[in-house]
Amino acid sequence: MAERRTLESTLSGSSMTGSHESFEYKPTAVMPDVKVVKIGGQSILDRGRAAVFPILDEIVAARKLGIQVVLLAGGGTRARHIYSLASELEMPTGVVATLGKYIPMQNARMIQMLLAKHGGIYMLPDDFEKLPLYLQMGCIPVMSGMPPFGYWEKRAEGSRIPPHRTDAGVFLSAEFLGSPRAIFIKDEDGLYTDDPKKNPAATHIARITSKELIERNLPDVVLERVVVEYLPRAQWCKELQVVNGLKPGQVLAALKGEDVGTIIRA
Amino acid sequence: MSNLVGGDGRTHINSPLMRESLQNKDVLSSTDSERDLQIFPDVSLVSIGGQSIFDRGKDAILPLVAELVEIKKDKAVKMVIGVGGGTRVRHTISIAADLGLPVGGMAQLVGAMEELNAILLNTLLAPHGSMPMQRDHFWDLPLYFDAGITPIAISVPPYHFWEPPPEEGHLPTHGSDFGLFQLADVLGMKQAIFVKDEDGLYDKDPKKHKGAKKFGKITLAELMTQFPEDNILDQELFHAWRTAKNLKRIVIVNGLVPGQLTRALRGEDVGTVIVKEDARG
Repeated sequence: MAERRTLESTLSGSSMTGSHESFEYKPTAVMPDVKVVKIGGQSILDRGRAAVFPILDEIVAARKLGIQVVLLAGGGTRARHIYSLASELEMPTGVVATLGKYIPMQNARMIQMLLAKHGGIYMLPDDFEKLPLYLQMGCIPVMSGMPPFGYWEKRAEGSRIPPHRTDAGVFLSAEFLGSPRAIFIKDEDGLYTDDPKKNPAATHIARITSKELIERNLPDVVLERVVVEYLPRAQWCKELQVVNGLKPGQVLAALKGEDVGTIIRA
Repeated sequence: MSNLVGGDGRTHINSPLMRESLQNKDVLSSTDSERDLQIFPDVSLVSIGGQSIFDRGKDAILPLVAELVEIKKDKAVKMVIGVGGGTRVRHTISIAADLGLPVGGMAQLVGAMEELNAILLNTLLAPHGSMPMQRDHFWDLPLYFDAGITPIAISVPPYHFWEPPPEEGHLPTHGSDFGLFQLADVLGMKQAIFVKDEDGLYDKDPKKHKGAKKFGKITLAELMTQFPEDNILDQELFHAWRTAKNLKRIVIVNGLVPGQLTRALRGEDVGTVIVKEDARG
């Protein structure tokens, strides 16, 4: 029988199924100065003009200061609606994740229309390779926050909601670009001990590590759980910042690098 | 009655998940049930190894193509084929890792190497009826099967730039084995057959250890208690299979031995058969 014809490389003999690495890895950051920013779906976009316009004003102000911003949109109530129909029909998680791609895309397109006069440009998920051009031209790229996993999204234990949604997309984008902190604009001051909309006794947590957060095993958290799980393994994106977009000045402060809201550290 | 609900500054659509945090554990579990919809339960997925088959060249590839042509004569056999990338994937990743490219960058690159093997296979199989299937054009599958065309699927999952940071090391973990497993699971297929260059899965790498013992028919739970350190399939596949609801049967056969793939497609226990707990019969 013919032998395997193998290209010599540090991995040529490897089954690549384990983690026995025999090389030194010195990471290279792709675009470390970019701020990757999420605009929440249910928390911001579903509030309409009253919430969205002031936030976009602050983003445009930051861009005018030379701060490079990429915006990623969340889903919100329409995503919850389709998830709930699909769950009733016992759709596999991969189908649910595919359905979940459409709403953040709509939201990204809405933001682009509003930002067009300030250089807002709609970007497809695989267009990271065009970012240098957009940012050098002074644009504000806007894209869906949903990772492109779609039908390839794994099922989570005990739920058919896709575990990687738009928070995960924001974190993974920041990690790929080599950005040290991902910023999430929501309608709360950050992380609480429980959902503050339902539990008035919930108290604010300003600083926490991902390890502490996992150990607390809170019934509800402000960000998707996979993001908190991935954070300690990140090469670059080692901080998650959650800010309240309904409070004037918070978004701009966060974009300038100030420690407002909650910061979750690896 | 309007389906739109306001009052808290946000506009909601009435649904059981309205206003809910999708991070809440109780909300998440309310979406679950014992089963997932099975879309194509009479279809088998066939994965042909990159290192194990394609990298051996003509002597390994042509007999397997001849076997596939024979199999195709039985119109009742419905299959989707995927291929691995083999040594070129390893070469790509070793260069990319030396350059320090992020794991998402590596994941974005590797799919091209599998695609080359898919083109080779399709070129050989096209005269007998085969076509490359676009990424997620699953809804064309009934048409393919009706027309006697065998679809060749893209095997690397579209994790691309968003490949999550691995638990250990620096390499992408969502490769072609996982991608094809996931395809079979999400579509509710009958089984996934992995065509390699060994008679099945062994407790040790049979290429390095003479006394390596082959698993015959085994449940996933049993296998997890004695998981081989060197595995012929990606770890991520087994990781995902544990929480998956649909796929019940994975078969590993030797593509260098004529007839094994044919038997596996007929549902016979050949090579190593791994079954999910409740499906052992």
